[in-house]
Amino acid sequence: MSCREWHDRLQSYVDAALPPQEMEAFRAHAAHCPDCGSAALSLMETKGALRRAGRRYEASSDLRARVVATTHQAATDEGTAKARSAITLFWPRWAITAAAVLLLAAGLFFLANRSQHPSSLAEFADLHVATLASANPVEVVSTDRHTVKPWFQGRIPFTFDLPELQGSPFTLVGGRVAYFHQEPGAQLIFGYQKHMISVFIFRETPQLGIAPASFSDRGTSFNLQTWTQDGLRYVLVSDVNAAKLQDLAVLLQHHA
Amino acid sequence: MQPANDSHREFESLALPLLDALYNFARWLSHDQSEAEDLVQETFTKALRGFSSFAPGTDFRAWMFRILRNTFLTSRTGLQAKLTVPLDPEEEAAAGVTWETPETLAVASATREALQQALSELPLAYREVVLLCDVEEMKYAEIAEVLSVPIGSVMSRLARGRKLLRQMLAGERPAGIRKVDGRR
Repeated sequence: MSCREWHDRLQSYVDAALPPQEMEAFRAHAAHCPDCGSAALSLMETKGALRRAGRRYEASSDLRARVVATTHQAATDEGTAKARSAITLFWPRWAITAAAVLLLAAGLFFLANRSQHPSSLAEFADLHVATLASANPVEVVSTDRHTVKPWFQGRIPFTFDLPELQGSPFTLVGGRVAYFHQEPGAQLIFGYQKHMISVFIFRETPQLGIAPASFSDRGTSFNLQTWTQDGLRYVLVSDVNAAKLQDLAVLLQHHA
Repeated sequence: MQPANDSHREFESLALPLLDALYNFARWLSHDQSEAEDLVQETFTKALRGFSSFAPGTDFRAWMFRILRNTFLTSRTGLQAKLTVPLDPEEEAAAGVTWETPETLAVASATREALQQALSELPLAYREVVLLCDVEEMKYAEIAEVLSVPIGSVMSRLARGRKLLRQMLAGERPAGIRKVDGRR
């Protein structure tokens, strides 16, 4: 092949797009042809320079968190939609109506009784478990309360304060936005030795439906602490013992 | 919270590693941080929604980049970019490449900043193909899939785009190229 013909293939050579035998043939040609050899070398340098210059931007941790949240949200929505369409497919209409009536009755019963029941608290235990089981338990990863607190700005409709943990056995692991009864709130993850503690903070509203008193629940294997302070509902969930959970609760209460 | 099923987990494991590359591409296309972030987020949403139609074994990366690019092209900035720099069909056809060595050296010896400036001023049709080939290191066939054009067009646009870059860095201002303000 003449130099002229090779020149037409130079770009493909540099982009490694020639068939293997032509790649080899060009290498053999360039070894004896300084013009073609230097032209190829120069183009390769150009390609390298462009690659370095073009890798300029990285996704912010904020964007990463948003993308993960969107994906999870879509997954949850789709799961619900699928369940709904499966019900419509396999159950006759009267059965759905009957089930709906039963659910409604059960719901009314639940509503009437929930002030005495810790069911809502069990839901927090579920959220805690689901978070720890997740591949990305926290959306903002930081041991620094001055990083975690501002991250929630614009994501939840209230603000809160975090205690200084130095000198305490607890560490801050990070935080995420949690939803409870369609209400966004903060979920903070604290570490105690090898255990994880979820601290949920939501606006106190009647819809939240949590017993106002603070208590530990022995019904589930988790310990729970809850209280209201400055219009915010705090719920602590963990497998650490009740006394330790109380220690963290005191820290939070004194700084909140 | 856990993804609802395996398909979402699979999507995440395939798509999240591409986040930085997609964002970089989006930023080069739009020249704007928040627009690029919105583009990426919309791309993930669309891709997840259409993931069931994605054929396993085919090129996932090309598929994601194609969604991102199509999303960009229908955005306001994308429409403007398309209107201001129409591709010359004759230029498309002329795939012949000649190499002027002094210009080639101009690119290799240019500073990173000068290269970035030239790249940002390159018309969209050439900028995207250079980014996919040289930055993302995609094969011609992969680029052809992202852009939905034949491989021949990929090659001619690449040749033309690189030539324009060389001319710009050698101090020439090729016709039809205007200076772009260094937006964010």
